[in-house]
Amino acid sequence: MKGRRVVITACSAITPIGHGRAAILDSLRRGVSGVKPLREDNLLAKYIHSQVFGTVDDPIAYDFKRTYRKTMGPVAYYACQVAKEVLEQAGLPPEFVTSGRLGVAFGSTHGSPTVQREIYKTFFSGTRAEYSSIGAVDYLKSMVHTTAVNITKMFGITGRVISSSTACTTSSQSIGYGYEAVKFGMQEAMLCGGADEYDTTTVAVFDNLLACSTAFNDRPQCTPRPFDRQRDGLVVGEGAGAVLLEEYEHAKRRGAEILGEVIGFACNNNGGDLILPNLAGIRATLQSSLEVAELNADDVDFVSAHATATRMGDVIEAQAIHAVYGDNPFVTGFKGYMGHTMGSCGAIETILSLYQMQEGFIAPTLNLEEPDERCAMIRHTLKLEERPVTVAAVQNFAFGGVNTSLLIKRFA
Amino acid sequence: MTREQIQTAILEIFRREFEIENPGLAENLREVYEFDSVDAIELLLEIERFLGSELTHDEKKGAMEIRTLNQVIDYVDGLAGKRGLTKDAPTRKEASSRP
Repeated sequence: MKGRRVVITACSAITPIGHGRAAILDSLRRGVSGVKPLREDNLLAKYIHSQVFGTVDDPIAYDFKRTYRKTMGPVAYYACQVAKEVLEQAGLPPEFVTSGRLGVAFGSTHGSPTVQREIYKTFFSGTRAEYSSIGAVDYLKSMVHTTAVNITKMFGITGRVISSSTACTTSSQSIGYGYEAVKFGMQEAMLCGGADEYDTTTVAVFDNLLACSTAFNDRPQCTPRPFDRQRDGLVVGEGAGAVLLEEYEHAKRRGAEILGEVIGFACNNNGGDLILPNLAGIRATLQSSLEVAELNADDVDFVSAHATATRMGDVIEAQAIHAVYGDNPFVTGFKGYMGHTMGSCGAIETILSLYQMQEGFIAPTLNLEEPDERCAMIRHTLKLEERPVTVAAVQNFAFGGVNTSLLIKRFA
Repeated sequence: MTREQIQTAILEIFRREFEIENPGLAENLREVYEFDSVDAIELLLEIERFLGSELTHDEKKGAMEIRTLNQVIDYVDGLAGKRGLTKDAPTRKEASSRP
């Protein structure tokens, strides 16, 4: 189905390896890890086997008015900050931002767990006075679409709102559904992305499923290790990423700088198990996105792999990449740098891929020293490659059997 | 407590919780300070803490027409009176002994 061209005219990210383009690029080029020791939280941390976390360490100078802050938990601070930076960078006229022709597609894994934790503490405190202190604000801070609607409130955005919450595919869906909304004429532009805050609950969940890395607690920067023989699981992280998608003619008319073009998106479900990775499902998604973009597999020269560094997940993903793309594109797992930033990983990995396209280099998968022989059939990026990237495939897979593939093209 | 004490407490709540310093008592809170429905819910919670007792649903509904700080102070003064907390209010014992 032919639609309109959709371009990216701004992007920004808060990540464990830096906030903003310069810091992130510097970390990618120098091979800096953002994984740190898990912080004590006086609740769960001491019971968790995995004592590492992809941590945003640099303080962020927020400048939000009280009227906006009052409905924001930590996740919404992240979301609104990257949204603010994107809107400033894009330079959209204020009357367009509030016109209804700009929408928001933004999500997080589960709203604000920090605020939810406080609510539950209050619920179980056993005192009626405290119970009645749970107010409307606590819900607005913690609800699952808190990121999207705090953004609409702060900037007066009146277009459509999509707030996916599909764990690891949350923000790749945001970009994908935002792309479709612009492509098929429902909106002229969409502000898309995802965020997740520091949260030990998520670590505990994956820890209980034996999916977390535990062997590198004394060397946090050495894990996760996507596709590596010594990989022992994922590392939970935090962060946020946002992109502005805009209809091409609209962007051109206003003289916007075009950073890249979204040329394809596909999303499917494995239709079965909610946890186990599924080769057929992933392969079908990758293939579908190529069909949407009307590309041959050979046209893709870079793959941003989901690559969480779990034992089976990476093997299945390598098999899917090989089945669809062969050993032609360079493959990098960005989670080696920062862990799994959950609801924000799709947006962050899209932005990192864009940065690479603009700079003409490909960063290696951090901590990939010796590829697992079951993952070795694809073209791993083992050292920094100074070379142009024309088409990047950004793939993400989530609990629940959800798979996404985004195809991004360098704008020329 | 006196009306002056209530006013002082309310102004302190507005300063501490809503970052509104020295507001005009007759100003429209929504128009001048962007004080909205979410703030109103939070204010009721603060009033409960100040009075040391929960407000009934009817009492809370009675706050929905409030637009100015003077009206907030009147409202709290009334609630304090009902609870026997104001200087001029009858004590609970006196009130209950009335025919």
